[in-house]
Amino acid sequence: MKRYILNRLFQFIPLLIGMTFISFLIIQLSPGDYFTQLKMNPEISPETIEKMRKVFGLDKNIVVQYFYWLKNVFTFNLGVSFSYHVPVSYLIKIRLKNTISLSIFSIFLTWIISIPLGIYGAIKNKRWEEKILSFIAYIGISIPSFFLAMLFIFFISKTAILPLGGTTSIFYKGATPFERFIDYLKHLLVPGLILTLSGIGSLYRLMKNNFLEAINSPYIFTAYAKGIPTWKIYFKHALRNAINPMITIFGYELSGILSGAGLVEIITGWPGMGRLVLEGVLSFDLYLVMASLLIGGILLILGNLFADILLALVDPRVRFK
Amino acid sequence: MGKILEIKNVVVGNEEIKILRDISFEVEEREIISIVGESGCGKSITLRTIIKLLPQNLNILSGKIFFEGLEITKLKEKEMQNIRGKKIGMIFQEPSSFLNPLFTIGNQIEEGINEKVEKDKKKERVIKILEEMGLSYNVYYQYPHQLSGGMQQRAMIAMALINNPVLLLADEPTTALDVTTAFGIISLLKNLILIHNLSIIFVTHDISLAKYLSDRIFVMYAGIIVEKGPSIEVYNSPLHPYTQKLINCLPEKYNKGEKIKTIEGEVPSFKNLPLGCPFSPRCEIKNKICEKRIPPEIKIGNRIVRCFKYGNFMES
Amino acid sequence: MNIFVRLRKRNFISYISLYIIIFLYSLAILADFISPYPYNKQFRDTPLCPPTKINFFDKNGKFHLRPFVYEYKLVNPSLNKYEIDRNKICPIYFFVKGERRKILGLFPSRRYLFGVKEGKIFLFGTDMHGRDIFSRVLYGARISLSIGIIGVLISFFLGFLIGGISGYFGGKIDNVLMRLVEIFMMFPSFYLMLALRAVFPLNLSSFQVYLLIVIILSLIGWAGLARIIRGMVLSIKEEEYVLSAKALGIPTFRIIFRHIIPNTFSYSITAITLSIPGYILGESTLSLLGLGIQEPYPSWGNMLSVCIGNLRILSNAPWMLIPGFFIFLTIICFNFLGDGLRDVCDPKNW
Repeated sequence: MKRYILNRLFQFIPLLIGMTFISFLIIQLSPGDYFTQLKMNPEISPETIEKMRKVFGLDKNIVVQYFYWLKNVFTFNLGVSFSYHVPVSYLIKIRLKNTISLSIFSIFLTWIISIPLGIYGAIKNKRWEEKILSFIAYIGISIPSFFLAMLFIFFISKTAILPLGGTTSIFYKGATPFERFIDYLKHLLVPGLILTLSGIGSLYRLMKNNFLEAINSPYIFTAYAKGIPTWKIYFKHALRNAINPMITIFGYELSGILSGAGLVEIITGWPGMGRLVLEGVLSFDLYLVMASLLIGGILLILGNLFADILLALVDPRVRFK
Repeated sequence: MGKILEIKNVVVGNEEIKILRDISFEVEEREIISIVGESGCGKSITLRTIIKLLPQNLNILSGKIFFEGLEITKLKEKEMQNIRGKKIGMIFQEPSSFLNPLFTIGNQIEEGINEKVEKDKKKERVIKILEEMGLSYNVYYQYPHQLSGGMQQRAMIAMALINNPVLLLADEPTTALDVTTAFGIISLLKNLILIHNLSIIFVTHDISLAKYLSDRIFVMYAGIIVEKGPSIEVYNSPLHPYTQKLINCLPEKYNKGEKIKTIEGEVPSFKNLPLGCPFSPRCEIKNKICEKRIPPEIKIGNRIVRCFKYGNFMES
Repeated sequence: MNIFVRLRKRNFISYISLYIIIFLYSLAILADFISPYPYNKQFRDTPLCPPTKINFFDKNGKFHLRPFVYEYKLVNPSLNKYEIDRNKICPIYFFVKGERRKILGLFPSRRYLFGVKEGKIFLFGTDMHGRDIFSRVLYGARISLSIGIIGVLISFFLGFLIGGISGYFGGKIDNVLMRLVEIFMMFPSFYLMLALRAVFPLNLSSFQVYLLIVIILSLIGWAGLARIIRGMVLSIKEEEYVLSAKALGIPTFRIIFRHIIPNTFSYSITAITLSIPGYILGESTLSLLGLGIQEPYPSWGNMLSVCIGNLRILSNAPWMLIPGFFIFLTIICFNFLGDGLRDVCDPKNW
């Protein structure tokens, strides 16, 4: 098992390097960089800009620049943000915390709701209960998350039942830690619910189809022929088999933690990675964007690896291969 | 010997199609019965009818089934669960897909054990029956994909017999196996009859295997049992034109170089069955009446045949 | 044709969706003719005007066979308050005369499908520049709906080419191509989209932006597809009929075009239908963030961009969200149609 994990990790390293190199190329190939914007500013002299370029190593050619960046990454130095003038790692640390709490909140809620719904839908297949659920799922799958977010915001602007934008309220300073937590949670609720609602539909459908496939399998017939009660057949034999393909999906969702919430974050004003990357891209903030893509790539690898390990744990066919 | 299973005029199907039409037979204690027929003639459905596990779109429309004197057609699902696996076991054609891939063989056999006994006792019992099937005790800890086809089928039989049932339903258990492995399974089944107090209904399309294994043969065609009788008699002197043709197709009936005859035509689909005898479109000796009515059961000696050729129907 | 008959019988919702899609596309094509106003016509005196109600009964309860609208007057500009003037009846006419426009860019015409001679008609209200949202939705449909189809076709071309080559030839080529696919799949797609857009200057012409969006979306979309096609080619390659064609000495390209591609056809139709929504979403997302189609030209995405972070507009003028409903409608119809097609194309269900 240990060897398998190490093996997988080593396989990912060239991919990670390839991916970061391509992103480096993309950003550096763009016609402008951060300093072309500074040039417009008459208060900054061309000499200062040239000096800054040298400091950031931007006067060298792309490949050299890339290896310069890569070397720094291995020493956990992600570079300095051009526009914020602080280390990228510092910027990302704050935003990443918000994005991850948002994603985990919504992933947890999505799974808790859609797995039982999927099982229910499969058991009631082709009856009216399933037809209604599946129709709602269609709406959920088809409604764009940004549109859902706008409808939510419209609703909240009319009712004002939940706070909107940011992570904290104004009274924050004098509050007890528990009040702070509740306040944070309240702010999390709007983007969190939007993400949950837009995720339930597809997950419900996947789970329903998996469970349906499982309960129509020959081994389920065997279990019936053994005289096992129906509930035990569903929750032992069918559930285990239906959950297995979902594990891969779970790993995929974990790897999407970073970018999955981006658009909703921007629209609801949740200070996560989404807005940071958008601003970084628009202002050619090279190291900021590179670091975000790198973290995205690493998360993808970890998500996949996590799914592989989990799958090996629950599926003997994978484990004994 | 007493009857353990009695099926009386059972019809299975739905509004549109009838899969089983007027099926009647009984099974004695310690008897092996073979149901023979081409694919899609309703053999497997017959087995599924006995334990009331039909596909969702099919129902028992009429008729009665008695098991050990109990009318199981009247039983509720809950009560059926106490018969399935406890009194009637079942094994299948492809053990690889009929075993749950995610649980160990031990776990899957154990969960069928009816009585409330300690875990250790259960395990002891499972290992004992596995060894009886010619498997080593390791198999208890193994997953289905780690076993060969033959071993999977043995594990399957162990699973079906763990509660010492009186009836075993075997749905083509050797079809997916190669000849030598299949032979092993067949000998095992024959031995089991001697050890356990067991009757077997064995579904196959191989009539010579049926002759070798069973006491009686039922020949099925398009949802009707066309001929019933002791194996040797049915094999050596078939009465029904279909049985005759079926036996005529066997390679062992021919000398080297001779051309093997086949049955012309195809099995009719259940959606458009002929009005009369289902075999009439392929039958060479059919009469007008064959296309109008389904022949009744005609008793000849200790055999029963459904063909207008026997009795006084041909003249009218 | 066979497919559509089966679709109607088996999956009626999909069949209706097909007609809704056709209807939406015809709206887009005939936008010049149907829309009462040009997309960039600003009515400065009626910003954020609510949708005009169409009436049959006047204030005295008298029935008019010809439907009519009342005039809306801005009474309080700071609160954006409108009042309906019930004294003036403006009847709606078909084929009214208006400014000269070219239908489909070809046929000059001065007549539009419907309109009013006096007053104004805003079926979906106006935006804050006083432009008719109904007209803009129709023009925006041109962008949003066409990008889906063109983007999917390019992606499919790339996917088929690379996946096909990879699957058919295998070996080293397969290895290299699949690593490339994996690298592309590692990018968080939302960020990749932003980064790719940032490569190009922001002030491009509408047409250039349009092309750019298509290319970006195809670049994101091809990788996953190539992997699926490769898998399919691999499995078909092992099928008996391909092996027998090979044994007969039929040349490679003929095997690919006569045997392998036709077998992926029904899958492709379904997959194309089901991936169009992704492209429509991609375009709207970019335009929504101000990185796509630029004002004054409308797309369903950029029409929504004022709603971001602008609570006042959103709560006072919810009709600004109407383009979102159109995006939703289009996507749900494509999803229904795609699933229906999959159902119908599957030989198991015949």
